[in-house]
Amino acid sequence: MDYIIQFHEITKRFGHVVALDKVSLEVKKGEFLSLLGPSGCGKTTLLRTCAGLEQPTKGQVLLEGQDITHMPAYKRPVNMVFQRWALFPHKTVAENIAFGLTIKKTPRPDIIRQVRAMLELVKLEGYENRFPKQLSGGQSQRVALARALVMQPKVLLLDEPLGSLDLKLRQEMQIELINIHKRLGTTFIYVTHDQEEALTMSDRVVVMNHGHIVQIGPPAQIYQKPNSVFAAQFIGQTILFQGQVSAKNGESCQVATDELIITCPTGSDLHIGQDVFVSVRPERVRLNDTPLVDLENRLEGSIVNTIFKGPAVYYQIEAPGGRIITVQQHLEQDIPLYEAGSNVFVGWSSKNSQILLQ
Amino acid sequence: MVTSQTDRPSILSPWLRVGPLTIMMVIFFVAPIGIFFVYSFWTKEGWDIVRQWTFENYIYVLTSPVYTKLIFRSLGVGLRIAILSVIIVYPLAYTMVFKFEKYRDLILFLLAISLFSNYLVRIYAWRAILSSNGLVNWLLMSAGLADGPQPYLLYSQWGVILILLNVYLPFATLPIYSALLNLDRDVIAAAADLGASPLRVFAEVTLPLTMPGVIVSFVFIFLLTSGDFVTPVFVGGKEGMMIGNAVAEQFGALANWPLGSAMVFSTVILIGLLLGLIFLVYRIVRNVINRKRYDLYR
Ligand SMILES: Nc1ncnc2c1ncn2[C@@H]1O[C@H](COP(=O)(O)OP(=O)(O)O)[C@@H](O)[C@H]1O
Ligand SMILES: [Mg+2]
Repeated sequence: MDYIIQFHEITKRFGHVVALDKVSLEVKKGEFLSLLGPSGCGKTTLLRTCAGLEQPTKGQVLLEGQDITHMPAYKRPVNMVFQRWALFPHKTVAENIAFGLTIKKTPRPDIIRQVRAMLELVKLEGYENRFPKQLSGGQSQRVALARALVMQPKVLLLDEPLGSLDLKLRQEMQIELINIHKRLGTTFIYVTHDQEEALTMSDRVVVMNHGHIVQIGPPAQIYQKPNSVFAAQFIGQTILFQGQVSAKNGESCQVATDELIITCPTGSDLHIGQDVFVSVRPERVRLNDTPLVDLENRLEGSIVNTIFKGPAVYYQIEAPGGRIITVQQHLEQDIPLYEAGSNVFVGWSSKNSQILLQ
Repeated sequence: MVTSQTDRPSILSPWLRVGPLTIMMVIFFVAPIGIFFVYSFWTKEGWDIVRQWTFENYIYVLTSPVYTKLIFRSLGVGLRIAILSVIIVYPLAYTMVFKFEKYRDLILFLLAISLFSNYLVRIYAWRAILSSNGLVNWLLMSAGLADGPQPYLLYSQWGVILILLNVYLPFATLPIYSALLNLDRDVIAAAADLGASPLRVFAEVTLPLTMPGVIVSFVFIFLLTSGDFVTPVFVGGKEGMMIGNAVAEQFGALANWPLGSAMVFSTVILIGLLLGLIFLVYRIVRNVINRKRYDLYR
């Protein structure tokens, strides 16, 4: 496998704060990789060690197999789009984009040609003589992108570039970034704390928490097979139960929780009495007026809240024992919604209950 | 960015908001200066002020070889101090902000303390250091670098410059320091990320973006020092006397306020012209640098 970037056991401390704790990660050539995690988990720090803007306390960074841990930032063939864009306020849009090329002493006609091509790529023709303070957030973001891309970096690092844009603009830019990635084939490492964004855009998602990597995988896998309570809760929504394995037979096993006994597909290394969590995705759960006898896992409860979201509706249901669970129902037809106080039956099949060990 | 629709402020409200400040400025700054400005067009006969508008005082000051010499010397001294202080202070502030982040507050505290130590005490201390049997001459002589005491250390323009530089250094530091402190670190990181070596980052980003702080510091020091009249009395000697001393004499012993005022405003006008000239040159240089602007659709 061709790895373009390899992080090898990167540890980074800021005084007593451990921002990264032995993080190892391989980035494939040409892929769109997202670093996803809550604020403060070390995403930016990892990105900056790749750019050379932060020296790891321990560990190595390899670029195409070469150790670049101690190579200064300005010599690295990778470029970054900063969180708040960090445009040069005293330079025009064109000068911002041309900056890296002028440093490289690219001949002027080439600079002009490439800057023009970039302006076209990010759809900012006509803005070349504006100053950053005359640009909107979305436009600034495009300039920052063009300024980095014009360098034809081996890896483009993006630190929450869409974080401060409003929702609609953010969704448009997501699509545009995906298209630019496809067109150029550059490796993208994309930092975000927005799970939906990570799932939408990436070839692979790296889930991080507290300076550790929790899980790495394609979006579908991350969503469908979270490997931990953290991953299950951080990506999408989950109904989480805590209990012990109470029975085990061939294909399935039972987990006894305070509320009910849940039938789950069995894992090989489970033993009776083991403490486990069970995660169920809210959209994998069915709702009915009468008991769902064809499903292994059943609950009865009463609707507390109905949250209508257009394509789907969320019901908050009080289960026996007082636990509130949120269930999602897709609105395929114009079915009547349940009203608060109605009694409902909830059920899901055993293959939709997922056992998590931690 | 979304522009939010806020209530349109009334035309008056900005004036009301700065009202108290305006009143303060008028009482403590504009009014006294205005009074002296008026005086500068009057004359004095015996002990009486003749309230008749005339340029007599100005013509007298600006054609007098003694006073013009004092004015130009003051501007020269102020200019040299301003240039030296910016050159000294910039690296100091730069290291404070970027290299000694931990000790930043301590250094600032020490600078503040030096502001509180008495001005005269410091002048006397310097006199002791620079005098013929002072520390510097003793060192020079014992190192064999000088045969006898070097007279130019004290009672000269350089003596005045040295002491004023020392006295005003903390004032010079603050504008540059805060300009550097307010620099967006990511903008600097971005320049490095785009391939600029530390030197290029400084020349292309750090220096241009902190230039306003440098200008404030420069003008500030230039104005403060070119009007000084205390230090020249103690260490200036004959060669180090400045226009401030002549003004002080007119307002004090000679009690000729009209002439004193005219000296002040002649100096102010010349300072204005000099600063204007400096900025003209600065703008021209900057525009030459900016001429490289990318004209993409020629
Ligand atoms: N320059 C720094 N000095 C001290 N602590 C820092 C510095 N940069 C980051 N940290 C700390 O390291 C941790 C990870 O930060 P960061 O990588 O910015 O997180 P993220 O980008 O995931 O929000 C945080 O606890 C943060 O406070
Ligand atoms: Mg961050």
